[in-house]
Amino acid sequence: MSSVALDQAGETKSGREAAAPARASRRRAPGRTGLWPTVAKACGLFALAMIYIPLIFLAVMSFTPNPLSGVPYPLTVEHYAALAGDERWMGPMRTSLFMSALVALTCMVLATVVGRALTRMRSPGAPLLLTLIPLFVPGLTMGAALFIFLRTILGLTLGLWSIYLAQLIWALPFCLLLVLVVASRFDLNLLEAAEDLGASPWRRFFDVELPILKPGIFGAGIFGFLLSFNELPRSLFVRGIDTTMPIYNWAMAASQQSQVPIIFSLTTLLLAITLPVMGTFFWVLFVKLDKS
Amino acid sequence: MTTAPPASPILEIIDAVHVYDDVVALDGVSITAAPGEFLTILGESGSGKTTLLRIISGLETPYSVRVLRLGGVDVRDTPAFKRNCTTVFQNYALFPHMSVGENVAYGLKVRGTPASERETRSREALRLVQLEDMYDRRVHQLSGGQRQRVALARALVPQPDILLLDEPLGALDERLRVDMQVELMGLQKTLGTTFVYITHSQEEALTMSDRILLMRHGKIEQTGTPTDIFDRPVSAFAARFMGVDNCFEGDLISLDGERADVMVGGERLAGRWSGKRKPKAGEKVAIGMRAEWLTLADTAPDRDDINVLPCRGDGAIYKGKYLDRTVDTGVAPMKARIWDVASAVPEPSFVWWKKDDCIVMNA
Repeated sequence: MSSVALDQAGETKSGREAAAPARASRRRAPGRTGLWPTVAKACGLFALAMIYIPLIFLAVMSFTPNPLSGVPYPLTVEHYAALAGDERWMGPMRTSLFMSALVALTCMVLATVVGRALTRMRSPGAPLLLTLIPLFVPGLTMGAALFIFLRTILGLTLGLWSIYLAQLIWALPFCLLLVLVVASRFDLNLLEAAEDLGASPWRRFFDVELPILKPGIFGAGIFGFLLSFNELPRSLFVRGIDTTMPIYNWAMAASQQSQVPIIFSLTTLLLAITLPVMGTFFWVLFVKLDKS
Repeated sequence: MTTAPPASPILEIIDAVHVYDDVVALDGVSITAAPGEFLTILGESGSGKTTLLRIISGLETPYSVRVLRLGGVDVRDTPAFKRNCTTVFQNYALFPHMSVGENVAYGLKVRGTPASERETRSREALRLVQLEDMYDRRVHQLSGGQRQRVALARALVPQPDILLLDEPLGALDERLRVDMQVELMGLQKTLGTTFVYITHSQEEALTMSDRILLMRHGKIEQTGTPTDIFDRPVSAFAARFMGVDNCFEGDLISLDGERADVMVGGERLAGRWSGKRKPKAGEKVAIGMRAEWLTLADTAPDRDDINVLPCRGDGAIYKGKYLDRTVDTGVAPMKARIWDVASAVPEPSFVWWKKDDCIVMNA
């Protein structure tokens, strides 16, 4: 059985060398004709292509004079030069970076506090469901609801604080799920052991619980940041007169102005920075720390 | 004879009561332990022995307790992390994110001991449990037996007044368990630390303890040295728990000092009284005899100091070292242990045992 699985996994590489013994065992495993693995591989490749080809195309087109023409020729860096000369996107960028960092930090703290509490409850079902429901509320609905509540009912002046609130509501359930994955497996006996050895409540938390929950909390931070950084529909409603990066991009792309090409350069730059940073981060967090 | 604890006990609990939801876990338990004593709390699961241990360590706050003193100090309001006693947990509860050395040193770290002294003392503790080479290992690289030793070293390093052990050998295989019993006893002698040891195995309790506390339904059934409890169980429960194979109920005919006469299923049997509360004639009592004290024979010996019952051979279970023979007497089926299988009677018609080897207790 295992020889069949091994052989099929390495089919492209060593299929021919292992052909003789594999064929014998394959006959004994009905239904494993080799067709389905091939179909699965094809579907997988197609899906990956659909994800990455547009991204690559975006990057390529950001180097052409007219990105919307669809012709990647001739190559030029004029949009990047224009981006450097333009200062209008820098304000929204700063706002977004600051806002996302704050949302990420809040998410890490709140998700940890709530996640710990939920795993210690006798019946955490109802509170868990209530915290997770914002996941399923459409962005525009949530944005409109917040707008009506904050602006028209409470009569507050909207601005950065309400964007922060809206993004927090959006990001927190995801972060909570990430923390719950590790918190639900956490063995509470370890805290008793630490207590028994003389550790005060704070020491127990910092020495035992926090290190074990760390992957989940950092994961919550990363996702909190990304979700906040990309959030558009809710922010649109509650922005007041403030502008975040996605709002700026959206406004620019929608306005059919001459600034459109520099959006492509900007998003390409973001991609070029974000992907390697996130990749390294995940690698350190889940591969390297796990092994040591 | 019960060894009376000296004047200043290191552990003293009077009248501890604890309730979980609607279940009474401890029902007025009082215990003391002398410094350097190896005290075993023996009982079935659910008898309240773990609750008692958690009340000593402070991980559980009793519903009510009159006196709770560790080393002469009242600790009723002292949280667990300020009490000078440590626990070896049943599931070990080693910190998975720390190395073996860090685990062992943790008790010193939270006490603010300097790093160099921490390492010296942790290595010393690991040497005591024969794991000196494992200092830098990760916990998940260890076997069950090794984890058990690390848990032991971790609990010993802060030099507690009392070491609490919650069925520490329960998860180990037979061979390892016997080895560890000997090691634990040696360790306890060397260090002179008071051990409070929880187990459900009478064999473990008899082997290791200075004194045994037998618990039942949140109460203490009997306290005494291993020989006390083994030879003089006070009740049918204690007798069965200590491995008395044949235990029946009967009616007391007379009780004269140590000698008790009991009517069981129409037969008059005599034994020595070992119960707690002296019953009146006619009351229900329990009578018990160990399988190894019974002799099977073709003819009944003509002696005064024995009980004899006619019997018919029934089943037999071969156990390797011995043979367990079941015989059917008029009273009840009885189990006799035969060590010398070759010279055993194939079809016995009588079973007899000494009156001194027959114990009569509270039912």
